[in-house]
Parts: sequence; structure tokens; C-alpha cells
Amino acid sequence: MSADPGLAGQTQSLPAPRTPELVLATRAGRAAAAVVRISDRGARIVVVTIALVWHLAIGLPAVLANRAELTLPQVVIGGWLLVAVLGVIAGGRLLRDAPLPAPPLAALLLTVDVVVFAAVGRSQLFGPANWVWGGLAWFFVVVIWRQPVRWIFALLAAHACTGITAVVCYGAIAAADLARATMALYGTSSLPAAVFAGAATLAALSRDRAATAATTNTMVAEREAAERARRDRHERLALVSAAAGEVLTELAQGRAEPTDPQVQRRCAHAAARLRRLIAESDDVPHPLLHELRAAADLAERNGLRIDLVTIGNPPPLPVRIRRKLTDPLIAVLADARDWARLTVVSSSDEVEVGLVTPDDGRAPTDGGPAAPDGVPVAADGGPATVSGGLVTFAAAGHDANGPPSAHGEGQVEHLYERDGKITWTQTRWHR
Amino acid sequence: MDADALAPVTPERPVGVAIVDDHPVVIDGVRAWLATEPRLTVLATGDDPDEVLRAAPTADVILLDLRLRGRLVLDKLAELSAAGRRVVVYSEHSDPPTMLAALDAGAVAFLAKHEGREHCVATVLDAAADRPYVAPALAGAMVGDSRPDRPVLSDKERQALLLWFQSMSKASVARRMRISEHTVKQYVDRARIKYSRVGRPAATKAALLARAIEDGLIRPEEIGIYRSHAATDWPTP
Repeated sequence: MSADPGLAGQTQSLPAPRTPELVLATRAGRAAAAVVRISDRGARIVVVTIALVWHLAIGLPAVLANRAELTLPQVVIGGWLLVAVLGVIAGGRLLRDAPLPAPPLAALLLTVDVVVFAAVGRSQLFGPANWVWGGLAWFFVVVIWRQPVRWIFALLAAHACTGITAVVCYGAIAAADLARATMALYGTSSLPAAVFAGAATLAALSRDRAATAATTNTMVAEREAAERARRDRHERLALVSAAAGEVLTELAQGRAEPTDPQVQRRCAHAAARLRRLIAESDDVPHPLLHELRAAADLAERNGLRIDLVTIGNPPPLPVRIRRKLTDPLIAVLADARDWARLTVVSSSDEVEVGLVTPDDGRAPTDGGPAAPDGVPVAADGGPATVSGGLVTFAAAGHDANGPPSAHGEGQVEHLYERDGKITWTQTRWHR
Repeated sequence: MDADALAPVTPERPVGVAIVDDHPVVIDGVRAWLATEPRLTVLATGDDPDEVLRAAPTADVILLDLRLRGRLVLDKLAELSAAGRRVVVYSEHSDPPTMLAALDAGAVAFLAKHEGREHCVATVLDAAADRPYVAPALAGAMVGDSRPDRPVLSDKERQALLLWFQSMSKASVARRMRISEHTVKQYVDRARIKYSRVGRPAATKAALLARAIEDGLIRPEEIGIYRSHAATDWPTP
């Protein structure tokens, strides 16, 4: 929120608006994808293991034992080797969550399917050496993992067509052969299809659940942030009311006289606090310097010659600490005449702000209630001492109105001094 | 090194000043400030350091604007300081890195232009006597110096510099630190002297150190090694 009046009336090119729904959907989608990746890892291990173990422990011994009966044993064994290599590579990538080029791999498996059926020969068509009947379907599952479910059915259908075509081409069309073929196809396809469809369903469910949870969390977080922003605005409004409300009310009711210098000073002070509150909500690299500059600008516009010298960069400080550092100076600055010197010296664990103004003997309006002899009393209850025309008070960082400062926030010391020539206000924060 | 350049300034002889600036109006202003002090006399002015020095070879102090015709003349400053010329730099560039670079190059003092009116005469007189003069802006630069090879300042020296930078009133600093104004000046000057041992060697730095020893500001054995004097803050009120 920037309330800088200088921006009014300027046209600004804004980036394309991102709807809240879009933002939520993107975040939820990312979270859900991560959950799915983790949740179907078990299923992936199972299918890769089944495919390779079946291929090695059941397919290979059968092929080797019956290779004498095969029409083209080299081709059948070559097909087995090719699928074994493909299975190891594809399985490894699947377990490492690396992407797989599904269409070419599926096409390669179907080609091997056709070639092995052609090379296996009539005698081993239904024999154990024809390893593609039972072993190939699990490799389909491995290479098309996470594709839509229709892929597995399409591949199994193509595999069935190949098998039936081979059965017909080999002339094995007796009722018993067709029954065997049907049994073989059903028996070897139903389980991979079920595993694939089940895993896909589980993944979809966990994706939905995770997306819902992520969306809910995001909405809760945004609601809390909005609530906090609203609270901050309320607090700010209360502060602003305290700063300006009283004097404005008195002016409106005619109880305060605009020509009265005291009233003018109170107005200047209220304006300075308003300016500071506005500056506080600006998003700038060094908010403390920004707030002090805002106060200095205002003082300058009110005809004060002001020197603002900063050395070093202040560390990020919570707004409570910044207010403690700047409030006493802003009060004195609103009251100052003629000239002022505002200095900030910062290091990573210490910030010292100093303000020197001419001492014209008037009691400060907001150094707390002025004693009869014009001696200020610290607003936060610090002891005031008077010695040889010098008025000093020091206050350490306890805050009578606020909660005790959080651990590690450090504390703010406040010193005020006047000697008849200058008033010297100093605030110091240290870790 | 020019033997005359570091000739001691005696009470009988007024201090000769040369002003190098590329803005005639600034030269006139500085001339007016210096005219209020009878012990100072302006010998030559111009925008070229070499020409000005040819016109006034006996100048005790050179007031040099750090930016001449759009260029920072730190190299020229180092050359003049190495040759033993007392150069007081004054500049509108009062950012700490520039000030510290000018000290490293051998400037005997640094004045921010907005401080000129108040501090110019005192700075030139101190410079002519090889005594350190620290204007508030320079004090701030020393306090905020975070370079790894910076001199180690004692707590009291740092506090005196900080308060002097904040208030521009040594009387107020003295009251705040509960010491005499003289001691405040000693702390500030000691901090300045420590800066004479960083950066490039220059005859002017040697002269500052020699005068500091003569005045009892530092001890001879403190030259050469850095020590924190926090434990033995020996200027006494």
C-alpha cells in the first residue's frame, strides 16, 4: 500500500492480473504432484520387480530348455535379451522418477511381440518357450506408467490381436487351441491391467486429496494474512486517530485557535506522525531511513533547514523498535525552529539516531507533560535530572504501553538533553 | 620531495593558501571565509593544481576541490601529498568511502562543502601547523568505517567521534562524556592520527605523526603497530 499523493493521477502499466483461483490452483497442483510422486513409489517398485523377476526366473529357463524346438531360436533369445535390457533401463528410470518416452518403447515391445510369435514355431506356440504370452504384459505396465489407463488396454488388445493372429496363422484353430489361447491371454493380461488401473486410481485419489489439502492450507494462510493486515490497519488507524484526531476535533469545535503557535505545533507534530505512519507501510529497502527521510521532508516543507546525514545501513528492525527509535525525534522535530541536524549511524547490531536543534527555552510539546519550570519528563517515565542549566533524561527500552520486547529484539535507549544552546535527542538500539 | 613544502609555519609569517576549484563562485566564497582571519593569505587560485602551484610555490596549504572538470582527482591528491604538500580536500561528495579514500591518499583534512563556512579557517590553520582537524562529517565517516583494514579505535575515541558527528558541539560532547573539551579534542585527534597509518604513504602523513608525537598526542612506540587503547585510555580530563 502506498499512500503517496504524488502517485495520484499517474497512469501505471500493471502486469496482467493473476486471479487468486489461478494462484491457488498452481500451488495446489505443485503440492499434489509431489504427493503423487511419493505415494506411488511402492507400486512402481512392485511392477518393475515382477516384470524383471518373471522375465529372468521363468522366461529365460523355459526358452533355454526348449530352444531345440524353436524355429528361429536366435531370434526368440534375441527378443528376450532386447526386452531384458529395455526393462532394466526403463525400470531404473521409472524408480528414479525420470521421464520415459512411452510411445516408442511401447511400439518396440509390440514389434518384439510380433517377431517372437513368428519365430517361435508351431510346436512351442503354447509352450513355455514362447515367453511373450506371460512376460510381456508386465513390461507394458513399466514403460507406460502414469499414462492414462486406456493405454494399457490398448496395448493388451494389440498383444491379444498378435496372439490370436499367430494362432490362426499357425492353423491352431481347434477348439482346444482357441480355449488355451484365450486362457493364456486372460490369465496373463488381467493382473497387469488390474495393477495398472489400481495404481492410477490411487494416484488420482491422492492427487485430489493433496490438492484439496494444499488449497485449504493456502486459503487458511491467506485468510490469516488478510486478518493480520486488517488488524494492522486498525492499529494504524487507532494511532492516526490519536495523532491527529484530538487536535482536529478541537479545531472543528472552535476550542482551538489556528493562530495559536501551540496549536500550530501540535498540528505539525500530528502531521509528522501521520507522515511517518504512511512511510511505515511503504515497502522500501531501509524502512528506518525512509521513515526518517519522510519526517525530515515534512520538517523542510515547514521551513526548517534540516541536515540528514546517514552512515551505514540499518539492519531490518521490527516496526515496534523503529517507532521507539523515531518517535522521540519526530516529536522534537515537529517543534523545532530554524535548523536541525538529524544523524543516523548504523552497523549490523547497533543503530544510533541523533537530533540536534537550537534550544529556544520552550518546553517540548510532546516530551511528556511539561513540569512548571519547563523541564520535560520522559514519556516513558525516565528520570529527568537538572544540573547547571543542563536538563537530561534517559530512558531504557521498557515500554509502559506495549508488551515486553521479544527476546533478541534488543532494546532502545532514549536520551534527551538541553543546555540553553542546543537540544540533543538521541535514541540508540542495540542487539 | 619538495623541502620547502613542509617548512614550519611561524607566528610572524602568515599562512599562504592556494585554492584549486573549477567554479569561480566557490573560489570567491572560500576567499571570503579566509579573509576573516588575518593569519591567512590567499596566494593563488585556479582550476589546474599544477598552474596554481607554479604561481604560488610557497603555499603552505592547498585547498583542493576533489572533483575538477567532472573527474575525481584522488590520484593528483596522492601525488601532491607524496611530494609533501599539505592538501585540505573539500568536496560536495561527503559520502564516507570518498572521505576515507581522500585520507588514505594523504589529505591532511577533509571538509564537506556544507561545513565550509564554520570549519574552513580552523582547518587551514591546523593543517598549516601539521595538526589534525576533524570536521563532523569526517568524524561520521571514521565511526562508520567498516573496512577490514581500518584502524582500531578505542571505545572512548569512537564515542567522542560519534557524539561530535551528531552534535557538532565539543562542549556538549564533553558534558556527555564527563570529560574536558580538551580531552574530547584529544580523543578525536588520536582517532585521526591512527588514520595517518593506512593507505598510501605520504610525507604529509609523516609530518602529522611527527607533530602528534611532539604534542604528546601519541607516543613514539605507538607508531608502527596497531593496538586498541580501550584498556588504557590515557588522555586525562
